[in-house]
Amino acid sequence: MEDLIVRMVSRIVVPFIQVYGFYVILHGHLTPGGSFSGGAILGSSMILFALAFNLERGAKKLSHETSTIVECAGAGWFAILGLVGIYMGQNFLTNKEAGFYMGAPGDLVSSGAIVLITLGLGLKVASTVVTLFYSLIEVEGDAHD
Amino acid sequence: MTFINVIHAHSTVLLIVSFLLFSFLMPILERWKNSWCATMAVAAHVLAFVFIGNLSWRVFTEGTIHYELGGWSPPWGIEFVVDYLALFMLITISTVSFLILIFGTVDLTHELKPKVLGLYYTLYLLLVGAMMGLAVTNDFFNMFVFMEIAAISACGIISVKSDRECVEASFKYLMLSAVGTGCVLLSVALLYMIGGHLNFAFAAVAIQDVAHIYPNNILVALALFSVGFIVKAALFPLHVWLPDAHSSAPSPSSAILSGLVIKIYTVVYLKLLYKVFPIELFDLLPVFDMILILSALSIFFGSIFAIVQEDIKRMLAFSSIAQIGYVFLGIGLANSTGLTGGLLHIFNHAMMKSMLFLSAGAIIYCTGIRKIDDLKGIGLKMPVVMGAFTIGAMAMVGIPTTNGFISKLYLALGTLDANKHFYLAIILISSFLNCLYYFPIVINAFFGESEEEDGEEEIQVKKLPLRMSVPLIILGAGCMIFGIFPKYILVIIERAVEMIL
Amino acid sequence: MIDFADVAMRLFENMYYLVSVILFVIGFHTMLTHSNLIKKVIGMNIMDTAIFLFFVSTGYVQGGVAPIIEPGVEQAYINPLPTALILTGIVVAVSVTAFALSLVVKIYEHYGTLDAEEIMRIRSTES
Repeated sequence: MEDLIVRMVSRIVVPFIQVYGFYVILHGHLTPGGSFSGGAILGSSMILFALAFNLERGAKKLSHETSTIVECAGAGWFAILGLVGIYMGQNFLTNKEAGFYMGAPGDLVSSGAIVLITLGLGLKVASTVVTLFYSLIEVEGDAHD
Repeated sequence: MTFINVIHAHSTVLLIVSFLLFSFLMPILERWKNSWCATMAVAAHVLAFVFIGNLSWRVFTEGTIHYELGGWSPPWGIEFVVDYLALFMLITISTVSFLILIFGTVDLTHELKPKVLGLYYTLYLLLVGAMMGLAVTNDFFNMFVFMEIAAISACGIISVKSDRECVEASFKYLMLSAVGTGCVLLSVALLYMIGGHLNFAFAAVAIQDVAHIYPNNILVALALFSVGFIVKAALFPLHVWLPDAHSSAPSPSSAILSGLVIKIYTVVYLKLLYKVFPIELFDLLPVFDMILILSALSIFFGSIFAIVQEDIKRMLAFSSIAQIGYVFLGIGLANSTGLTGGLLHIFNHAMMKSMLFLSAGAIIYCTGIRKIDDLKGIGLKMPVVMGAFTIGAMAMVGIPTTNGFISKLYLALGTLDANKHFYLAIILISSFLNCLYYFPIVINAFFGESEEEDGEEEIQVKKLPLRMSVPLIILGAGCMIFGIFPKYILVIIERAVEMIL
Repeated sequence: MIDFADVAMRLFENMYYLVSVILFVIGFHTMLTHSNLIKKVIGMNIMDTAIFLFFVSTGYVQGGVAPIIEPGVEQAYINPLPTALILTGIVVAVSVTAFALSLVVKIYEHYGTLDAEEIMRIRSTES
C-alpha cells in the first residue's frame, strides 16, 4: 500500500503516540493506567508504523526476534525484582522493607519497586503486542505481499 | 550457609518462580543455544525437587506452611499455603512431569519441527508452574490467573504440532476452557460481592457469617464453580473437548494433559468445596449427590465410548474420562475412606495414564502405528513398551499387586461406608468394561499373529532410545511398587484427608 | 402476589448486575450457537466483558471517585480492588483472544473455511 497521506500522517503521529505511551507507563503508580495500558499504546505505535509503511521497514525498527527477546526479558525482570526482596532477607516481591527508594508520595520517582516493575512490564506488553502482530501477519503474509 | 536459609524460608514461592523464570528464559536461550533448552527444562525440574524436598520436610516437622507474598499479611496480600493436600499434589506433579519430560526430550524431536522445539519447553514449564501454583494458592484471583495460564499453555502444547486436527482440537479446548474460567470468575465476583475477601480462609469466615442473608448468591456461586471445574476436569456431560485434544496432541503433551492437568482442577474444586463453602449449604443443594451421579455417568460412558475406538490414543483419552469419574466419586462420597481412594487415584492414575500414553507414543515413534488392529504381534518386538502397556492395562482394570487395585479398593470400601451400594456396582461394572478394551490389545500384541504374513512386509521397528525406555520402566515399577506398598503415599493422603474433613 | 413496581424498582437499582447478566447470556449464546469461528471468539469476548462489568460494579460506591488520594480533600472513593483485578482479567482475556485468533488463522489455512459445520463435514468425508 503506497499512500502518501497515510505515511506522512503516521510519520508525524508515531513519536507523539510513543511519548504518550511512555507517559502512561511512567505515571503508572500515580494515575490510572500503567504498564498494560501504556504498553498497549506503545506497541500500537509500532504496529501503525509497520502498517503504514511495510513489514520490512517495520521490522528494521523492531524485528520479530528483538521483540520476542524484550518480551521474555520483561517477564524475567519482574521475577528478578521479586527475587531482590528475597535477597534482602524479606519475602518475595517485598517493596519498602527490601530497601527500594520510596520517595515522597506523588513524585515521579517514588513507590520503590512499583515504578521499576511498571517500566519493565510496560516494555514487555509493548513488545508482546508487536510480537502478536508479527506472528499473526507472518502466517498469512505470503499470500498478500 | 545463607543460601540454605533462603531455600528454607522461601521454597514455596521459589518453586513456582523458578518454573516461570526458566520458561521466560527459554525463548532467549533458544536463539542462542538451541540444544540447551531440554537440559534447562530438566534443570528446572531438578531444582523443583530440591524445593519440594525441603517443603515436605518442613510440612512433616512443622505443619502447614503459610507464605505471604510481598510481606502483606493475608486479608490484603496473596497467600500461598502448603498443607498435606498441596504437598501431595506437588509431589505427584513434579515426579510425573519430570519423567514425561525425559521421555519427551527424544520423542519431541521426532514429532515437532525444530523451530518450535524450544518454545515447547517454555509452554511445558509454564504449564507445570501454573499447576503447582494452583496446588498451593490460597487466593481466589490468584487461582483464576493460574487457571488461565494453565489453560493457555495447555492449548499451546496441543496446537504446537500445527497439523489440522491439533489446531482444531486446541481451538475447541480454548473455547470451552474460556467458558469454564468465565464461570469461575463470575462466581468469584459473586462471593467477593457478599464476603469482601479473596483469601480462601477469610472468605470462608465471611461467607459463613452472611450465608443466611444471601443464600442465593452462594448457591449460584457454587453452581458456577461446579460447572467451571467440571468443564475443566472433563466430567461426563462436559467432556466433549477432551478426546480430540488428548488424542491429537504430541504424546508427551497427551501424557501430561491426561495425567495431571485434568486432576489439578479436581483438587482445586475439592479445596473450594471443603474450605470455602459452609457445610450447611450442602443441605440446601445436594452437590455431593450430583457429583456422584455425574461421576457414575462419566465412569460408565467413558468406558463405553472407549470400547468402540479404533485409534489407540483416542481410546486412552476416553478412558481418562472414565478415570476422572473415579476421582470425583471419591470427592462425592465425602467420607474419609472414599476421599482417600479418590486422592490416591489421582496419584495412581497420573502414573498409569501417563505411562500408557507414553508407551502409545513409543509405539508411534518406533513403528508409526496408531490403529489398535495393527498392533498384532508387536509385543515380542518391543518388549519394554508393551510390558509397560500391560502393567498399565492391569492397573487400569485393577488387578491386585498394581496400584489401580488399591485405589479401587478404597473407593469400594468408601461406597460401603456411605451405604451407597449402587456405586459399588458401578465400580465393578467399569472394571469389567476396562478389561474389555485393554486386554484385547495386550493379548493381540503378545499372542496375535499377523494374518497375511508373507504378503505384507514386516512392521519396521526402530530401536527404542534409552531416554524413552527408562521413564517407562520407572513408571511401570512405580505402578507395581505402590500397588504392593501403598503406605508410602498413603502417609500423606491420610493426613490430607484428616485435615480436609 | 408479586408487586411488579417493587420488582422493577429493584431491578433498576441493580441495573449493572442485570445488564451484565444479559450480556453474559448474549455472549454465551453467540459462542454456542454460531458456527462461524470468529463469531465464537466475539461471543467469548462479550461473555468476558459481561463478567468484568459485573465484577467492577461490585466495587462501585454511589458518588465515589477514582481512589487517587489528594491531601486535604475528603471524598468517597470507589473500591479499587475489583478494578485492579479486572485490569488483570482484561489482560488475560486479550491474550486468550489473540491466541484464539491465531488458531483461527491456522484453521483457515488448513481447511479454507471458517464455518464449524463445514469443517466437521470436511473431517467426516476424509476419515
